[in-house]
Amino acid sequence: MAKFNFIASLNGEELNKSPLRQLWRHFKSNHVALVGLWLFIALTILATLAPVLAPYGVNQQHSDALLLPPSWDDAGDVRFILGTDDLGRDVLSRLINGTTYTFGLAILTALITTLLGVILGVFAGMSKGVRSSILNHILDVTLSIPSLLLAIIIIALLGPGLLNTVWAIILALLPQYIHSVRNLVVQELSKDYIVAQWLDGANSWHVLSRGIFPNIYEHIVVIFTMSLSTAILDISALGFLKLGAQPPTAEWGAILAENLGFIYLAPWTVALPGILLFFAVLATNLVGDGLRTALKKRKAI
Amino acid sequence: MVKFIFGIALLMLTGCTEQSLKNQNSHGLIYCAEANPVSFNPQITTSGSTIDLISNQLYNRLISIDANTGEFLPELAKSWKISKNRKKITFELRQDVQFHHTDYFTPSRNFDADDVVFTFSRLFDVYNPYHFVSGGQYPYFKSIGLDRLIKSIIKESQYSVSFELFDTQSSFLSNMATDFSVILSAEYAKSLEVDEKLENLDHFPIGTGPYKFKDYKRDILIRYYQHEKYWQHPVALAQLVYDITPNSTTRIAKMLTHECDVTPHPNSSQLSILADRKDIQVQKETNLNMGYWAFNTQKAPFNNGLVRRALAHAIDVNKIMQSVFLNNGKRLHSILPSTSWAYQAQVNMPDYNPELAKRLLRQAGIVDGFSMDLWAMPVARIYNPNARKMAELIQNDLKKIDVTVHIVEYEWNTFIKKLEDHTHDSVLLGWSADTPDPDNFFSPLLSCAAALSGKNSANWCDPEFDLLLSNALDTVNIDERKEYYFQAQQMVIQELPLLPIAQGMRFQATSSNVKDIEIKPFGGVSLAKARKE
Amino acid sequence: MVLEYIFRRIILLSFMLLLLCVFTFSLSYLFPGDPLTNLSGVQNVSLHEADDLVQKYKLDHSMPTQFLSFLSRVSEGDWGISFASGEPIFKHIVALFPATLELALYALLASIVFGIPAGITAAAYHKNWPDKLINLFTLLGYSTPVFWLALLLIMGLCLQLGLLPMSGRISLLYEIPDKTGFILVDIFLSDVSYKINAFTDALKHLLLPTIVLSTYPTMVLIRFTRDSMLEVLEQNYIKTARAKGLSRSQLIFHHALRNALLPVIKQIGLQFSTLITLAMITEVIFSWPGIGRWLIDSIYQRDFPAIQGGLLAVSTFIILATVTADVMHSLFDPITRNQTHGKI
Repeated sequence: MAKFNFIASLNGEELNKSPLRQLWRHFKSNHVALVGLWLFIALTILATLAPVLAPYGVNQQHSDALLLPPSWDDAGDVRFILGTDDLGRDVLSRLINGTTYTFGLAILTALITTLLGVILGVFAGMSKGVRSSILNHILDVTLSIPSLLLAIIIIALLGPGLLNTVWAIILALLPQYIHSVRNLVVQELSKDYIVAQWLDGANSWHVLSRGIFPNIYEHIVVIFTMSLSTAILDISALGFLKLGAQPPTAEWGAILAENLGFIYLAPWTVALPGILLFFAVLATNLVGDGLRTALKKRKAI
Repeated sequence: MVKFIFGIALLMLTGCTEQSLKNQNSHGLIYCAEANPVSFNPQITTSGSTIDLISNQLYNRLISIDANTGEFLPELAKSWKISKNRKKITFELRQDVQFHHTDYFTPSRNFDADDVVFTFSRLFDVYNPYHFVSGGQYPYFKSIGLDRLIKSIIKESQYSVSFELFDTQSSFLSNMATDFSVILSAEYAKSLEVDEKLENLDHFPIGTGPYKFKDYKRDILIRYYQHEKYWQHPVALAQLVYDITPNSTTRIAKMLTHECDVTPHPNSSQLSILADRKDIQVQKETNLNMGYWAFNTQKAPFNNGLVRRALAHAIDVNKIMQSVFLNNGKRLHSILPSTSWAYQAQVNMPDYNPELAKRLLRQAGIVDGFSMDLWAMPVARIYNPNARKMAELIQNDLKKIDVTVHIVEYEWNTFIKKLEDHTHDSVLLGWSADTPDPDNFFSPLLSCAAALSGKNSANWCDPEFDLLLSNALDTVNIDERKEYYFQAQQMVIQELPLLPIAQGMRFQATSSNVKDIEIKPFGGVSLAKARKE
Repeated sequence: MVLEYIFRRIILLSFMLLLLCVFTFSLSYLFPGDPLTNLSGVQNVSLHEADDLVQKYKLDHSMPTQFLSFLSRVSEGDWGISFASGEPIFKHIVALFPATLELALYALLASIVFGIPAGITAAAYHKNWPDKLINLFTLLGYSTPVFWLALLLIMGLCLQLGLLPMSGRISLLYEIPDKTGFILVDIFLSDVSYKINAFTDALKHLLLPTIVLSTYPTMVLIRFTRDSMLEVLEQNYIKTARAKGLSRSQLIFHHALRNALLPVIKQIGLQFSTLITLAMITEVIFSWPGIGRWLIDSIYQRDFPAIQGGLLAVSTFIILATVTADVMHSLFDPITRNQTHGKI
């Protein structure tokens, strides 16, 4: 390792910093990505602290305030900043809590998928022969079916419901994940420094943890952001189709579907969850794109 | 490709083809229906959404009821005579009535007594080859006991038929005037027998009504053509198309884009939008109906009257009236709507009182609450424009007395079919009257016969109650009948097999250029005279 | 070489289809309720009829025998009966699939027509304003949920402005006999008097669903074409050509385009699977009478035979489309034939 540092120092100050800090430098220079990151962090905070931040309970019904417009409207009420829905529930509180369901659950889904995907992907990448071939064939079959359809199949089996949606999306995202991780592992395995490690007498675990993993984890973060945006879109799409979260669960897609009947009378109840969804996916995509560009830039140096 | 489409679309908008499109439009009417029809024969269903589509459009009855006076009017029967002992009724039939001429059947003769005999013998005569076809269930007729009432139907002459009854029954004529008592073609039935396609009688209808059947595509459309030789008057529309759109928001949206000319049951929340539009009119009719919450009285814990009463006390009906009906409905104080002549407001009607509800539950031996299923209709009906929302309100209210509610939904026709198995705990449903006779609210809903035929969603069978009903039917003295119905109403509210919630208004949105659609206060809608300007 | 490659693909294809059939068959056992009811779709049978059905479906035999009988029934088109309608499922699928396919085809066409030129433009003006504009556009397109986009379009174009219809394939007053199931073709083949009116009406109905459905694939194609083009433009032979003084348009259209589009062709084939899934949502919103809406309705109604049939049909189609795209791609690009095992 000392040898590499030596070469690096010849190339200048920049390369002396750790790869992670280099990445951050490149990421930081991309202002749009930075905005995405702030938005992402804000949503994460909202998702974790939703019950504390929301002014009212999710399903608390105010029978004296049905379908109130947002507070800046003449007919609005200051108590309900974004108005109420047809059952007299505070729209703001429901949307804030929706962050937990849509965004928070999507993060959880993506994290579980990452864990399983990395384990299985590494296994697939390291294994050889018949076992690998069978695994690859099964992967190929499932890969050709898109995640939302696969999720719908699984929901057809398990029945509609939010928890089932999460399982379905995890299972649906897994094949793509395994595929990507396997490709990364296979790519790294063929590199000279890994061969050198093998020749040094390192065992599989050693090669994996010291050799391969440090080189691929950033890519995994990029894949994570991609699967996160898919997860958000899928959770909300299933909620919208009434296959996912069931009312009165305050999931954004489900809120949207629930309020469709008021699209003329109270357009804000349909508009707001959609805008939030858009921003959640946008933030995730911005962070993902920013990371990818930053990775590319670092490699270019 | 899209540019190309855009070009064409712009071309359309500039109006060079607009004129010819209008021509096509003025010959046809699109009615946005809320569900698939269960069948094309009203005899074998009580589903109001189906009756609306088929009964008045494809068929005629022997007699009908005047919407304003409640008197009987001649339809296929010119006149009728009731014998002294009131056990024999003779109908004189019209001679100039023709059946539909379609691509699957060509009638060789006009309507006559054979058709009447065939139609009604199918209901109760097990030797009629059609009796067991399509399930052999005639839910409306079974639940009012008509199958056990008719002794025989006699063809007196080619244009005269008499019904002999086992018993006198004051509601017999009203029942003959309902949307269920339509006349089928005996000749068509014979020809199907030859082809061994008996079930086609209920799928490819032949009637005498203003429109004839052309095509049915499940979930998409029903297409009728005009009956050129309709006996009553010329039919203005060349085509009548039903666009099957279960979602009420979509139906309103289609009204706004003029993809529909008529939409039944718009959500009350959308009425104000429709009222603002010049090109759309909203018709509003009072209608004899009742939305209710029925408990499966054969299932624990709902077999306990205390539990039923507790649940009834736990829900806030005023809130339901506000957010489900948006105050376009009347709260019910009995099983009968206040416009019925036998109506009596019930003092015993449960009010909103969660504390009392909890006490009642404890009295019934239930300490930590329980969980139950609540079936909510998936479609909007007059008596309940949004059952799902009502269910959510009930869910929220019952949480306060530690009862967990699980809301169950199925597609409408599946929903009705599954209800007949009585596997539900409780259900939000309702009833629209087919006749002004008060019996129409009791026998089809709560009699033992209805429990057997599966239409009694409370699965409630009380011989004492049945006796009251049959006593009420045995007499023609209005005061005596009233007395019996008062007792029956008290009994329902005492026992609460179902909790009457609200009477809805019947709304219908139509494009301003559509005229003369008749909404009947009892039963369905008639498009016979509908026309476009 | 080509033949061997195609042979390998066919083996892979049959393996995938077999796996799919095993999965579909096992669903009858995995779904709640009686496997016999789930397989046949016949409900409330008498004892005698049940016996006949057990005989027919070989339920008294071992699993492999049952599976073989399942396979033979599937190939004969006996896919059981729908709980909801009581009609044969195969009939439904034959009636509904063309509508979905038609929509998906037009959307794919639209995404090719818009996506590839936009991608090339972005690459040609790399880091200039057209590139940035197109990038921003794709980023927004990627982040918009498809159902939300559909609702926005309906609210704006149909309800507010009243320009376009919002549901179905054609105004129901036009009676077009079903021949191919493709509405435009059917109108062309029919002999109704209002042919031209019906045609324009059908196009108006098609416009919004096509836009909504093509959005996502267009974004994918823009990005993919751009990246692929940029990669090619980095290669030495292009640099040489540039050094020789060729203009940008010459470089792109004469030298880079062919190589840049090769991977894009494969991507187009892959889009079919995405299209069919997104078509399900689009169909629900625009009341398009296709297989996606039917499948989702079947899930609501727990119509298990219909769910099985729908899944089998949709998945088979997607697998076929993917493999076909793969084979097509390898015909254009011989290098990819040298893979040792199937990779899609």
